[in-house]
Amino acid sequence: MADKIEVSGFRHFFRTEIGSVQATGTIDLSIKAGEFVTLVGPSGCGKTTLLKAIAGFLTPSEGNILCDGIPVRGPGRERGVVFQELAILPWRTVRRNIGHGLEIARVPKAEREATVARLIGLMGLGGFEDRYPHELSGGMRQRVAVARTWAADPEVILMDEPFAAVDAMTRLTLQEELGRLCAATRKTVFFITHSVDEAVFLADRVLVMTRRPGTIKAELEIPRSASGGRDWDSFTSDPLMQKIAGDVMHLVHAERV
Amino acid sequence: MIHRWIWRLLPWVPAVIALLAWWAWFAIDRPPASVMPSAFAVIATMADLAFGGRLPGDILASMARLLGGSALGIVTGMAAGFVAGLNRPIADFMNPLVVFFNAISGIVWLPLVIGWLGIGSPLAIFLIWNTVFFIIFQNTVLGVQLVPEVLELGVQSLGGSRWETIRSVTLPGALPYILSGIRSGLGFGWRALIAAELVGATTGLGQLIFSGAEYHRADIIVGGCLLIGAIAMAMDRWLLLPIEKRTVIRWGLVATGQGR
Ligand SMILES: Nc1ncnc2c1ncn2[C@@H]1O[C@H](COP(=O)(O)OP(=O)(O)OP(=O)(O)O)[C@@H](O)[C@H]1O
Ligand SMILES: [Mg+2]
Repeated sequence: MADKIEVSGFRHFFRTEIGSVQATGTIDLSIKAGEFVTLVGPSGCGKTTLLKAIAGFLTPSEGNILCDGIPVRGPGRERGVVFQELAILPWRTVRRNIGHGLEIARVPKAEREATVARLIGLMGLGGFEDRYPHELSGGMRQRVAVARTWAADPEVILMDEPFAAVDAMTRLTLQEELGRLCAATRKTVFFITHSVDEAVFLADRVLVMTRRPGTIKAELEIPRSASGGRDWDSFTSDPLMQKIAGDVMHLVHAERV
Repeated sequence: MIHRWIWRLLPWVPAVIALLAWWAWFAIDRPPASVMPSAFAVIATMADLAFGGRLPGDILASMARLLGGSALGIVTGMAAGFVAGLNRPIADFMNPLVVFFNAISGIVWLPLVIGWLGIGSPLAIFLIWNTVFFIIFQNTVLGVQLVPEVLELGVQSLGGSRWETIRSVTLPGALPYILSGIRSGLGFGWRALIAAELVGATTGLGQLIFSGAEYHRADIIVGGCLLIGAIAMAMDRWLLLPIEKRTVIRWGLVATGQGR
């Protein structure tokens, strides 16, 4: 399969009042179309910086980023983003937040409502369609953020710790839903997390970063069943998965800050 | 149940206390009518002026000027505020100018502008605009700059254009500051209006008060002031508050202390 995202020789410095901060080391990375790649690494190692560069929010200090072979010049609807800090709009109801991307794309109302209704069902947000974000729990807001990005139907989805603020129970459900959704839609996903289990559970491939300035120090292919489906019961009882999770844990542990 | 009623009645407490103090002053000190009129005299005079007198015309004239000047100030202040808030270089260019002109009070303009516009509504509208514009401008710039960038980036990743981002993120995001600007703008607009009408108009509440001063009629002065305050309160309650309830309060952008 062709490379959907290609990062080569990427390195980034932030300019600040008191000098420049090196946010990442040199990073090379490619993600194939339909692949689910997760990234783990210590806090401050440059994960968000890398994701923002792929999203087109910042221009790399060094290196190139290609999407479908074309240099990334700015944000675009083919690359959807779920932010670490939730970016849903407080002045739009759940329904209108989720439908925003379709509204922008001028999708006819009937089709838009059908898509929104399907995602509201999938994300367990039924009954809250006409609520504003401040009336939702943190976990529900996070689900709205995921649904909003999904509804716009981007080819690539970039997620920055999307489930960090969700309670442990809901998180398990959302992870399974996400796995199912991805298997069904064959989207290309780049997913940042602090949870080793989450990274191994969801991924086709796990990347581990070193501490700041972060580089990619290891990558592990995760064998998947043909259906691509995932569930926690079989994950926890599968010795191979548990061994991989243990390996990743060791790699991450060595980078403690 | 009972304490809800207490909260409902609370806003009337200052008015009741003021009336009682007013009455007590009269009962004890008996000031001459040109210093402080009795509450009864004020009510009687205002009623006289209201029925068959000049009061309705004065109120209409003042309100038309206030709303006209404020609307102009709000529209131009918001437009300039958005342009400056969204463009650093333009903000750097405009800020010194704004500080310069904002420091020059409306009264200073009065003699100059009487020469340009003559006496009447255009003069009052200019002075109100001159007050409201700066307040709205500065609030809008701050509001625009304080909208979290991540919200804008989010909409751009959904395929939103710059215009879509401004419409669906920047405008509602800046609204709490803009509405707060409108609230203080209207207050200062009243001040500018009355100042303008004292010398620069032949009708309006400012003229009414000025004529009261000329004939040593404290009852007209006090009545006029009470009326200005009452109209300002009514506008806040029935014009501004409903807008806030439907927007910034509904969206949870400002805490109301209810249902939290
Ligand atoms: N706008 C900025 N200006 C200056 N320095 C920044 C900026 N953004 C990030 N940095 C620095 O760059 C480094 C990497 O930041 P980044 O947000 O990519 O980390 P991260 O890996 O996502 O961390 P976390 O897991 O805590 O989210 C950090 O040391 C941070 O201090
Ligand atoms: Mg981060």
